[in-house]
Amino acid sequence: MILIHCPYCDEKRPEIEFANAGQAHIARPLDPSGQSDAEWEAYLFIRANPRGRHHERWRHIHGCGRFFNAVRDTVTDKFETTYKAGEPRR
Amino acid sequence: MSEALFRNEPVPSTPYVADGVSISLAAPLKRYSLRARTAEALETVLNVKVPQKIGATEGGIACLGPDEWLLRTAAETAMPTGAGLPVAITDIGERSICLIVEGPRAAELLMTGCPLDLDNFAVGRATRTIYETVEIIIIREGEDRFHVEVWRSFAAWLWTAFTAAASH
Ligand SMILES: [Zn+2]
Repeated sequence: MILIHCPYCDEKRPEIEFANAGQAHIARPLDPSGQSDAEWEAYLFIRANPRGRHHERWRHIHGCGRFFNAVRDTVTDKFETTYKAGEPRR
Repeated sequence: MSEALFRNEPVPSTPYVADGVSISLAAPLKRYSLRARTAEALETVLNVKVPQKIGATEGGIACLGPDEWLLRTAAETAMPTGAGLPVAITDIGERSICLIVEGPRAAELLMTGCPLDLDNFAVGRATRTIYETVEIIIIREGEDRFHVEVWRSFAAWLWTAFTAAASH
């Protein structure tokens, strides 16, 4: 089983306690009604699908309950780093 | 009043005793979910020390997350509501039941379905985790004693899983 470092609990915890929550650093538009259809579509549906380094949101759902961000390699499934929500992209 | 004594619980009221471990329904206990941005905000309302570190316990209060605590207290305790203050104090006593897993094989039993390394889980520590697919909260009350909090609707399954594992 993979161990994932939770930046809130500050320890490595078993993968089964976590849930993946999609790509990280997707900011909701501050003025939704000012968006064009294409911009809104991009915000809602268009996501990166890299081979390799990927920024993801994860949630320690069966633990402290917090969302955080992670950099994971999609080829090796290795977690490079994890950091708290709101911290700058790494 | 005595209503609680007659209520149907989803697990047997008689303990299950196996070699080196027993599983039993805990005595009636009030539980509250405490939410606040800081431990200090809760300390002001409750007038007791509230642990800061995730996983730590202090008195009957366990820190489960950066803004979440579980309070266990005697059935008769009156609780402040925190009305008007930036805290949430919610009675969750009916949501879950508590099982006591006790004996020299207690940690071993929990590790049949819980992925944590409970051999390195200090006495006094608490955490939300998972047993197979069922979410639980465990509190290590002693070297050989764990308090396991489980949602009522999952309790019958957990009892079956624990007793089956204990019999092996
Ligand atoms: Zn955590």
